[in-house]
Amino acid sequence: MISIRVFFICSLSLFLAHFSMAAKVTLDSSSWGLEEGKSCVECHSKSSSGLTHQWKNSAHAEANVNCLDCHQAYEDDEDSMEHEGSIIAVIVSPKDCGRCHETEFKQQEGSVHAKAVSIIKNRMPALTEHFGSLSINDAGCAKCHGSEVKVKGDGTLDPTTWPNTGIGRINPDGSRGSCSSCHGRHQFSKAQARHPSACTHCHSGPDSPDKIVYETSKHGMMFDAHKDAMNMSNDSWVVGKDYSAAPTCVTCHMGAAGKMKSTHDVGMRDAWNLNQAVSTQQYLAIFEDGDRRELSTSEAIPRRGESIRKMDGSIAKIKAVASPKRRRNAMKKVCLECHSKNFANNAMKQFDNVVELYNEKYGKPAQAIMKALYADKLLTPSPFDEAIEITYWQLWHKGGTRARHGAAMASPSSTWEGLSEVGAVFYGRFLPQVRTIASPEKSEALIKKYVKDSEHHDWMNYPDRVSPVFDHEEQVDNKGSNNEN
Amino acid sequence: MKINDLLPSFITRHVLFALIFGGISGIAFILFLIEFDHYTSTEEFCTSCHSMELAAEPYRNSAHYKPKSGVRASCGDCHVSEGVLSATWDHFMGSKDLYKQLFGHDYDDPVINALHLPEAAFEARKWFKKRDSATCKKCHVKVAIYGDRPDTLQIHLEDAKDKTCIECHYNLVHRIIPDEKTFKRDKWNAMIEEEFGLQKGSAKKLLK
Repeated sequence: MISIRVFFICSLSLFLAHFSMAAKVTLDSSSWGLEEGKSCVECHSKSSSGLTHQWKNSAHAEANVNCLDCHQAYEDDEDSMEHEGSIIAVIVSPKDCGRCHETEFKQQEGSVHAKAVSIIKNRMPALTEHFGSLSINDAGCAKCHGSEVKVKGDGTLDPTTWPNTGIGRINPDGSRGSCSSCHGRHQFSKAQARHPSACTHCHSGPDSPDKIVYETSKHGMMFDAHKDAMNMSNDSWVVGKDYSAAPTCVTCHMGAAGKMKSTHDVGMRDAWNLNQAVSTQQYLAIFEDGDRRELSTSEAIPRRGESIRKMDGSIAKIKAVASPKRRRNAMKKVCLECHSKNFANNAMKQFDNVVELYNEKYGKPAQAIMKALYADKLLTPSPFDEAIEITYWQLWHKGGTRARHGAAMASPSSTWEGLSEVGAVFYGRFLPQVRTIASPEKSEALIKKYVKDSEHHDWMNYPDRVSPVFDHEEQVDNKGSNNEN
Repeated sequence: MKINDLLPSFITRHVLFALIFGGISGIAFILFLIEFDHYTSTEEFCTSCHSMELAAEPYRNSAHYKPKSGVRASCGDCHVSEGVLSATWDHFMGSKDLYKQLFGHDYDDPVINALHLPEAAFEARKWFKKRDSATCKKCHVKVAIYGDRPDTLQIHLEDAKDKTCIECHYNLVHRIIPDEKTFKRDKWNAMIEEEFGLQKGSAKKLLK
């Protein structure tokens, strides 16, 4: 039994190590610098000089990687086109980049980023179609999540699906993702991709508030003050070795730290899911083909050798499973480059406590009440046609997300503002709306069962308790004793 | 003095009549060809077949139909060579289109027309290439392509030095059709089926 366990741990460690190999291109330089592609730039420096100027300042240009090396295509490729005698494709997919950057391609291919379309495919219509229309999907949602690029029969790219650099873009060659989502073309600067703006370009705003969260954290404060000391253009970028001024998003979520190498599986170090009505910790199931899927601890624990459904719907065998604890430990390895073990553990504890508080006090009760209202047919199944559905969505998706992300990244203001928004929505709108939807008896029973009986909401049972928070309450004198007049 | 005395003895009266009649007929024939070529090159003539009306629709939204300069290129300006002999030859060869129109598929049907369009475009592009884009050059002169961007002329003088117009400038006027090398019949069929609300796979049957 022990030997199996040891074997399992070893193989998992090897797997994680594999995905943290040095990301140097191992191909021989004769593999690029196509003769046919050397002249593209002569014309393009005139026809699109900005684009070629970017390329001329890139590591690609320095290494003699030319236009055609990335844009070359085969006649049978779905999006191939003839251009100046060459067969090319406009879209350079992760698979194309992976011709040289194989490690990064494999890492991102299985990551949550690559599945940013499939994750929300069934959920998005409610928001896009009820609140907007397909055009908001094309210019909004899909710009971050990714479009399903459609090549028309005449070889042109459907304008509703392209241009698009969404992180989970479904490409004509079947690959998922877009490297230029973070690595702005055509310079592909290391410094740019390591800058927080590479992430906050999408991870900002109330739905995904990481920009404000990071900026108002100590980490963000340090970055802002010491940007110039970040050594962001250096080839190697190991925290504690090549820089130490501040951690960026990349540092903690992808970066190399100590013996742990960098990874392009950006969600690998995340133990929690923080973007659902109720947060759960998550296992990471690693399939035999390298693909990965997250599984909540509320579901059956995935086992090695077991066959389960992948995100794309197909059934595959699990090769290894990373527990939430293991994922957390990977994240903590980064912390330890600057903090003590106790410091890191305690910071994580404070984070976990907020997530659990949110879950128990608001997420779970709100979810249970919504389920009860649906079960009693007091609400139609269609989302967002009743006020309480919008309230519920704002509760967990706006304030709830901000509070939890705030706690994850140690932003005191985001944590408090997020949670106080949840509280205001819960007590000020959600519960009153429950009372208008269900009969007085029914609503009181629901609120008693899921809210008032919980220790989190016990204060509601004492309406006579006095507090100086509002002006009309009793005056308190300077000595702290009640004024008796 | 008789006319006969001024001419060599082998020019008899009959020969003289034949020469005069032949000469006039010849001139008349050339004039007829010029007029014929001219008339058969007009948009009016070309679109007298409904199938060509379908090809003309996108043309009427193109810069060749609505140019800033006011110089309109008609069907024949691009698709018929310059010179009586060449123009006549082009029309003679073009008569196979008339044969096809009469005895071939029902090209007047927009679906049939669209399904066969790619092959027609490939042929037309070859025609331009073979003639070194001669009809384009009737109006466009490489050394005078100033364009809107400062580099447009430079590109034409330097980068397009050994190229002929059609190599870069296709899909300018008519419906967009990929290059023959990257053309995918199945995808084209599927697009036409979707466009006309046809059943999947029906295009293949219509092509037979």
